[in-house]
Amino acid sequence: MHALAEPEPESSQDSNKNEPVAGIKSTTVATISIASALLAACGGGGGGATGGISGAVLPSAPGFNNFPQAASDNEAARFLLQVQFAATPADVSSVRTASFAAYLQQEFAKPISTGWDWLEQQGYGADAVLDKNVYNNAIADFVVWRDLISAPDTVRKRVALALSEFFVVSHSSMEIDWRGYAMTAYWDVLNQHAFGNFRDLLEAITLNPAMGYFLNTRGNQKEDGKGRLPDENYAREVMQLFTIGVFALNPNGTVKQDAGGKKLESYTSEDVSNLARVFTGYDFDPAYAPSSPNGLQFPGENYKVWAREYARRPMTQRADRHSTLAVNFLGASIPARPGGAGGAAALKTALDTLFNHPNVGPFFGRQMIQRLVTSNPSDAYVARVASAFNNNGAGVRGDMKAVWVAILLDDEARGTANLSNTSFGKLREPIVRFAQWARSFRAYPEFGTWKLFDLSDASNSLGQSPLRSPSVFNFFRPGYVPPALGITAPEFQLVNETTVGGYLNFMQNVIKDGINTPTKDKAEVDYSNYTRDFLANYDGFTALINNANHTPATNTEPVARAILTQLNTTMCAGQLQAASVTIMVNALRDGMVARQVKASSTPALKRETVCAAILMILACPDYLIQK
Amino acid sequence: MYLLQPHVHSRRAFLKRAGQLAFTGAALPTAINLAAMGEAAAFNAGNDYKALVCVFMYGGSDYANTLIPADAASYAAYQTIRGTTGSSLQNGIALGRTAETIGGANVPGINSSLLTPLAGGAPISAIGQSGLQYAMHPSMTGLQGLFNAGQAAVMLNCGPLVVPISKAQYQGSNRTLFPVPPKLFSHNDQQSIWQSSSPEGSTIGWGGNIGDLALNSNISNGSNSLFTCVSITGNAVFLSGDTALSYQVGSGGAVKINAVGSPYSFGSVGTAINQLISPTGRANILEREYSIVNKRAVDAEGAITSAIAGFPTTTAPFSSFPGGYSLSDQLRMVARLIAARDTLKVKRQVFMVSIGGFDSHDNLLTDHVRNMGRVSGAMTAFHNAMTALGVADKVTAFTATDFGRTLTSNGDGSDHGWGSHQFMVGGAVNGGKFYGYAPPVSVGGHASGDSAAIKAAPENQWHVGQGRLLPTTSVDQYAGTLAKWFGVANTELTGQGSVLPFLDNFAGRTLTVNGTSLTYANDLGFMKAP
Repeated sequence: MHALAEPEPESSQDSNKNEPVAGIKSTTVATISIASALLAACGGGGGGATGGISGAVLPSAPGFNNFPQAASDNEAARFLLQVQFAATPADVSSVRTASFAAYLQQEFAKPISTGWDWLEQQGYGADAVLDKNVYNNAIADFVVWRDLISAPDTVRKRVALALSEFFVVSHSSMEIDWRGYAMTAYWDVLNQHAFGNFRDLLEAITLNPAMGYFLNTRGNQKEDGKGRLPDENYAREVMQLFTIGVFALNPNGTVKQDAGGKKLESYTSEDVSNLARVFTGYDFDPAYAPSSPNGLQFPGENYKVWAREYARRPMTQRADRHSTLAVNFLGASIPARPGGAGGAAALKTALDTLFNHPNVGPFFGRQMIQRLVTSNPSDAYVARVASAFNNNGAGVRGDMKAVWVAILLDDEARGTANLSNTSFGKLREPIVRFAQWARSFRAYPEFGTWKLFDLSDASNSLGQSPLRSPSVFNFFRPGYVPPALGITAPEFQLVNETTVGGYLNFMQNVIKDGINTPTKDKAEVDYSNYTRDFLANYDGFTALINNANHTPATNTEPVARAILTQLNTTMCAGQLQAASVTIMVNALRDGMVARQVKASSTPALKRETVCAAILMILACPDYLIQK
Repeated sequence: MYLLQPHVHSRRAFLKRAGQLAFTGAALPTAINLAAMGEAAAFNAGNDYKALVCVFMYGGSDYANTLIPADAASYAAYQTIRGTTGSSLQNGIALGRTAETIGGANVPGINSSLLTPLAGGAPISAIGQSGLQYAMHPSMTGLQGLFNAGQAAVMLNCGPLVVPISKAQYQGSNRTLFPVPPKLFSHNDQQSIWQSSSPEGSTIGWGGNIGDLALNSNISNGSNSLFTCVSITGNAVFLSGDTALSYQVGSGGAVKINAVGSPYSFGSVGTAINQLISPTGRANILEREYSIVNKRAVDAEGAITSAIAGFPTTTAPFSSFPGGYSLSDQLRMVARLIAARDTLKVKRQVFMVSIGGFDSHDNLLTDHVRNMGRVSGAMTAFHNAMTALGVADKVTAFTATDFGRTLTSNGDGSDHGWGSHQFMVGGAVNGGKFYGYAPPVSVGGHASGDSAAIKAAPENQWHVGQGRLLPTTSVDQYAGTLAKWFGVANTELTGQGSVLPFLDNFAGRTLTVNGTSLTYANDLGFMKAP
């Protein structure tokens, strides 16, 4: 069985069997103990469990877990909209019945299903006639959209999306065989380790074929003594973006400075050149190469391609292409490797060095806070999350679950104080807005084909699409400062006079009429027979239109208010300002009068009425800024 | 003593004009204040129009395959360093002298794309060499033609610098006397530094600062000041000034927001949405910021849409842009906006467009054929359009990139570097010439075993390892020359609060290394008189 088919990585030794480097077992075992401890702590249902949770497992620093249970539907919805995509009434009820921690625990325990298996079930790999799927990116779009919109393990999908914006691999230049499968395998790796350990995740992405292609570890060769030197791309970006960042950090994420006030950089050009030697000699697993017995030749073609299995196999190393030079970086020393032997041990030392660098906790933790909660977390908040990264309470470093718990149960995320902080919150990114809408109103494909394509077009679409960042620097930078705003607001890097309209026009169309999709009843992709799919279901809202008469306005106002009140909780966790609600209710009330909307109206007219209410929310800054 | 500026681009216009404001005693909205100050008198002279167009090549363009050293000695050195070439390109990233197949396409050799400096011009300023010749990448036929016709010029080895600096000074530890830009070789930071003199997080760029000075010209001509700095690409710091905003237009025009009309025939809902997106009364500053952009988009769209409607893409010269890639679409939109300049009542504009895909760690040969072909094709079409519109000498396009790359090969690509070569295109460019200093073709002198003599050899003084060029011209000099042509007064380019914070560190300075003297001018001479 392949690793990615495993149901639950943290409980499976098999999940590591394909990874060639030792040193993973210990963290795997330790992760289990954390999981058990958290389970024990939360097992009672959470009420009044403050001491239990913080004492047994998680950071006991001040400011953590003073809010074990949601006091209202809106508080539950606020939590749900941070930790996943949507706040359906069922999930709101689930959070309120138990505790925030228990809800997380329940999500942590959900089994994982892989995108790879779904592609196989859909037949994208099997049919020899469909050799075009070797060169088809779109099937990976289908996989990820399907997961974001419908997967039952929704918290895993939400944090995996956040991880995909930290450990970036993009379709943008994925010009390899079975590219859709390769991107899917990368997405699966992020999901597989989302509740595992950072060290395992770091190794898995390092050896993943899509990453190998994207940042050039694949095919990276040793120095040849005649001027050719190892490719430095992965060595640079794994430090700058995936682990430690460019500046030396204090535990609270602030930058260390020397006595003269100059920021201290965390690595040098020499560190990059040295580390690059570690990442030489790698290539896709040759067992699946075109020239291997597994190589595929489609009927009527005169060439062979890779067997798609390669796309989920860790890259393998050729000793004769691995650098023989000693490596000295960040204070670590890896001896010379005559004949290129010992590459696996070199990789282990290198990744251990990066993983154990004190920057990782604050660097990674701060960005995950930004993705899930707020663009400008306090130093203390970052320090608490970094502390959870450094030690989950049971002596384990890099426990991802501890990081998520620390981010989401922190006072700054849960307490109400920040709701009146005028710089608190973050812009919901377009992918998240879209997934929220689709989940909230069950905008599913009629035939389960999930033909949602690239939605990156800024003028006519979302302006953002999962795994389609323009570069390894993500859609937006963690340090982006909108010029007129003066404080950090990463997601605003996507906001301009084109995208604000592109998004809203797209949604105005989609929430009413769904998405125009080719041959929606067949799995394979062609580009004909376009019809509407992903039609949202608003039955629960159209049912509220129970007014017998559309005049006077006193008949429509209660209906308008009922619709918007419910939408306010579901979509905004009650964060619409009173003045905004008044504007919306009055507009919908008056619109219902003008369009003669009443109980006996056609379903189409009632649908438009609900869409008008949703559109007002989608346009409203109270909604767009998640607090 | 160097004028070091810790507060780079920090609200410079405000600081610089605080005295004038106090003098007038005015208490008006900021934009009006700027208009009332009567600054930048040069911008108001005559009824002319001028535009600068920044073409940013994201990813860090490979300098050595953009301009290939083509004389016998230099080419031999290039070929030795970049690997054997010819029909078999294994492990090599050197371009051949004669035609070869790259990525399935037939690519002419560099002998077909040699650059011919205009007669009477000075020879290329080379360091330690003579008889230097360059070829443009063979896919750049359009720009090659413009260069040879005197409509384009080359800026050699330009990059971010704080002060003139030698290799020894760079390798030394005295960062007080010899500071260097922070976070060299890092994409996002060097992009930001090229555009704004500061790393990621910077909020004010030199394009925006030049725009600040141009606001007055546009406002007093009756224009919406928003149309001063226009980006056809995503958000970038380059076009943000103290007051000037970076206004975004798509390749197809400004996007009309339908929801403020009558969505689903609910007119009252359209009215409400118009109210909801208003920034007025919003306490949360993130909400307010989003509202401001949204409102601006609604308010400005109509003027843009109607102005460019008279210049459809189906008519010449806009129909002559190459199809199939974004940079061409972006520059076509710039051309249409310039065509509509009288309707929009603009007199000075700064534009930005971009193209990605230059981070060629792998597949340098194939990717560069495509990318440089696109840069050349789109910029040539743009220049031809400007000629057709009669404004070729009013519009100057110039390239920029994160950084140059290594001269060494990693097998089939190159790595992050520093200095790079750029192009300036337009009728006001003193074209057909090379500016700056041609870097020696060498990667030596950086191995631990190298002798003192090798380390000190003249040809090894202008790279910081692996052929990463130590820039011999700063971005500030490059930008200053463009700004001066655009009409920025000398008083805005020098002293405290300069548009280009490090420019004063270069003007008139000389750096002598191994008997070779380099001079650093704040006007590089590649633009004709304003």
